[in-house]
Amino acid sequence: MLTYLLRRLLQGAILIVVLSYLCFYLMTLMPGDPVDMMISSNPKITAEDVERLRKLYGLDQPAYLRYSHWVKDILSGDLGYSRTYRVPVQELLAPRLLNTFILSITALCFSVLIAVPAGVFSALRPGSRFDHFINFISFAGISIPSFWLGIVCIILFAVWIPLFPAGGTLTIQDESTSFGFEVLDRLKYLVLPVLSLSLQQIGRFARYTRSAMQESLRHDYIRTATAKGLSQNRVVWVHGFRNALIPLITVLALSMSSIFSGAIITETVFAYQGVGKLTYDSINSNDYNVAMISFIISVTMVLMMNFLADILYGVADPRIRYV
Amino acid sequence: MMKTFLITVFTISTCTSTLIGCKKGSNFSQKNTVKNELRIGISQEFENLNPLIKTMAATSYIYSMIGRSLVSMGADGKWYPQLAKFIPNLQDGSAKIISHSGKKKIIARWEIIANAKWGDGTPITCDDFALALKVAESPTVSVGEKETYTQVEKIETDPQNPKKCTFTYAKAKWDFYTLGQFYPLPKHLEEAVFAKYGAEKEGYEKNSNYTTNPTLKGLYNGPYFISEVKLGDHVSLTPNPHFYGTPAKIAKIIIKLIPNTGTMEANLRSGTIDMISTLGLSLAEALILDRKVQAEDLPYIVTFTPSVTYEHIDLNLEHPILSDINVRKALLKGLDREGLVKALFEGKQEAALHGISPKDPWYTNDPNYISIHYYSKREAGKLLDAAGWKMSPEGYRFKDGKKLSLVFMTTAGNKTRELVQAFLQNQYKNLGIEIVPKNEPARVLFGETIRKRQFGAMAMFAWVSSPENNPRSTLHSASIPTEKNGWSGQNFMSWSNKENDALLDRLDIEMDAKKRLDLAHKITKLYTEEIPVLPLYYRSDLSVVPKSLKNYQPTGHQYYETNAVENWEL
Repeated sequence: MLTYLLRRLLQGAILIVVLSYLCFYLMTLMPGDPVDMMISSNPKITAEDVERLRKLYGLDQPAYLRYSHWVKDILSGDLGYSRTYRVPVQELLAPRLLNTFILSITALCFSVLIAVPAGVFSALRPGSRFDHFINFISFAGISIPSFWLGIVCIILFAVWIPLFPAGGTLTIQDESTSFGFEVLDRLKYLVLPVLSLSLQQIGRFARYTRSAMQESLRHDYIRTATAKGLSQNRVVWVHGFRNALIPLITVLALSMSSIFSGAIITETVFAYQGVGKLTYDSINSNDYNVAMISFIISVTMVLMMNFLADILYGVADPRIRYV
Repeated sequence: MMKTFLITVFTISTCTSTLIGCKKGSNFSQKNTVKNELRIGISQEFENLNPLIKTMAATSYIYSMIGRSLVSMGADGKWYPQLAKFIPNLQDGSAKIISHSGKKKIIARWEIIANAKWGDGTPITCDDFALALKVAESPTVSVGEKETYTQVEKIETDPQNPKKCTFTYAKAKWDFYTLGQFYPLPKHLEEAVFAKYGAEKEGYEKNSNYTTNPTLKGLYNGPYFISEVKLGDHVSLTPNPHFYGTPAKIAKIIIKLIPNTGTMEANLRSGTIDMISTLGLSLAEALILDRKVQAEDLPYIVTFTPSVTYEHIDLNLEHPILSDINVRKALLKGLDREGLVKALFEGKQEAALHGISPKDPWYTNDPNYISIHYYSKREAGKLLDAAGWKMSPEGYRFKDGKKLSLVFMTTAGNKTRELVQAFLQNQYKNLGIEIVPKNEPARVLFGETIRKRQFGAMAMFAWVSSPENNPRSTLHSASIPTEKNGWSGQNFMSWSNKENDALLDRLDIEMDAKKRLDLAHKITKLYTEEIPVLPLYYRSDLSVVPKSLKNYQPTGHQYYETNAVENWEL
């Protein structure tokens, strides 16, 4: 087990280094560097300005040299400087990562709490009204574009029935407030984005749970467990659901891997100060340092969650062995 | 029974909350008016508010509320003093041309108004401007447009009065006093940072108080200072009691970033914001909102202010078809600009004759000074016939077996431009010209294609300028981007005209305003005769303001209306 863990960690580290260089190199191939973007928006920039800024930003150096400088800075604890916002990357990213984490984890928990029982009950009564209803909600959730759903939520619950704010992360106020008030305030701003994000996830998770449960309930051990006289709850949750967990763990692990990557559309529609739009904008404006850190976080999360999923497979199904 | 009960309860609760909600929504803005608070929505990102390194339009919009320069430009397009007591000029001797080592230079006496102070009460002196110049000159600081500062060679402070100083300018140019972007840095706060970190690459900007402690009152000298800033979300401003001018009347201003313009209206109606800035809506959205405001009698005014932003089509003069002046003339005569602005913009944007907007004192529409090409499909056809492009039965023109076909590029995803492109494609089809649209995302189009002059035949985009601006960077042959000059310069058309170059060179150094106007007219005449560019329209600046807001006057140029924020009143 220990050898397996160490091997996976080493593989992960190598993968991060290789992918980060690849990403860095691909970004340098994108048309227009930060100075080009500056020239296009300002006709007064002179040839001297261009040369000076390229030298200052290190853009006159080959990609591998720039990458090595970047790695050196990262290893020394300096995440770099955002050329778009003109502030250190850690100052820019830290609060946004926290906001994105809160939004994503809340939406994920809410979705799982609704989708998993709904999927299980739907699988227990295939063809029933409840099953049709869950199927309808699932397909609607998967099919409705999130930007449309977001705008509809704003119109419904912020304009027509002004129960929640149309956008933002927290109420803007100078006075310091109590922790409890801040939590409630944050919750108020979370309702609409979470609702908009969850509907899609509920649909996806419910469909996966339903099909995994249906598959699991067809096995001989379910018949045997029922024949042994076990209660329905025990048959469903201990024998059926546990065996349906493997595909669910995979889907959940993949979803968990994006909790720090942000939901760009939802964040943009609700003016939520998260990391998704920041990453998108940083790639668009060639803000290398921000884009690279976001990328490293994304890759690390995917690797970590896959790793976690592999371990959880063994917990859910003791027949799985690690060599 | 139970079902009926639940439906009744649901209906009653929904209706009640709707009624409560509607009341809340309509009262929200009024509440802010009572609190004397104004929440402004912007859709463009803003950055660190250090005036030396700022590059974004939204940052300039915000900065004008918290920081002032020696001079600025008003809504009437005229320069006026801000921190300066007066604007030096050659006539009264407060500025003069000198000769130094055979080179003409200007020296000007500036005096800062007596009660000008930073937000912490420290007086603003010439040393603050000298520090700004010193920091801008440093090779380790990433000032974008360095010449804004380095046009001033030296600042000498009067030892008797630190508010008086002499600026020596590197070149003798008429616009030496247009220092609207030359901002001072608070020496008492920033000098130590520069001394400590100035030698490191980008060390100053990373450690400047604007980065590490942006709510420090002493960093700002405008009518407001920053009480809270969250990049990517909002900035809160509170009045600066040490402001030199009229005290700010609004107790609190919040500038809130709403990146999706589609939700701007919902944010306005829900009361999240009270007004939408000139950096908020697209024209299509403003037109729709304007109709709703009229129809529903909403408490807002949608303003459409003609601006100096010039939407146009650059023609590639190295293209074998477009190198023929007759074809270029035909393209302009076959373009119904008046029809375009009426059909697509309900007449809220003005058709352009050339690159100088009606807001600019150099503007002219006098046919004695410029060539005016009115829409005439018949004349356009004749010009094409004369150029050898004959109409075929299939509806397109051919010459030597080659079809009259032109690649037309613009920014993909920009709805307005794509609509204009479709409009023009249809107009040119009627003339027998095939237009092949080839659109690219903005970063590819501007970052690579246009910059390296690889846009085929036509490229549609806009230039943002300011009144009385020398168009050297877009029209001088030395500004044609080449590999040799690092693809700098914006003469993407490759327009090369010796007479025009000479006029542009003279324009900077002509001190007589009347003669300068004459030069500007001559440049415009060449521009309208040789047609390196197809003028389309001048954009309008759009904003939505509450009816209760008084003294709000959009400027239509890069010196935003926020330069007069102290006059705004709710």
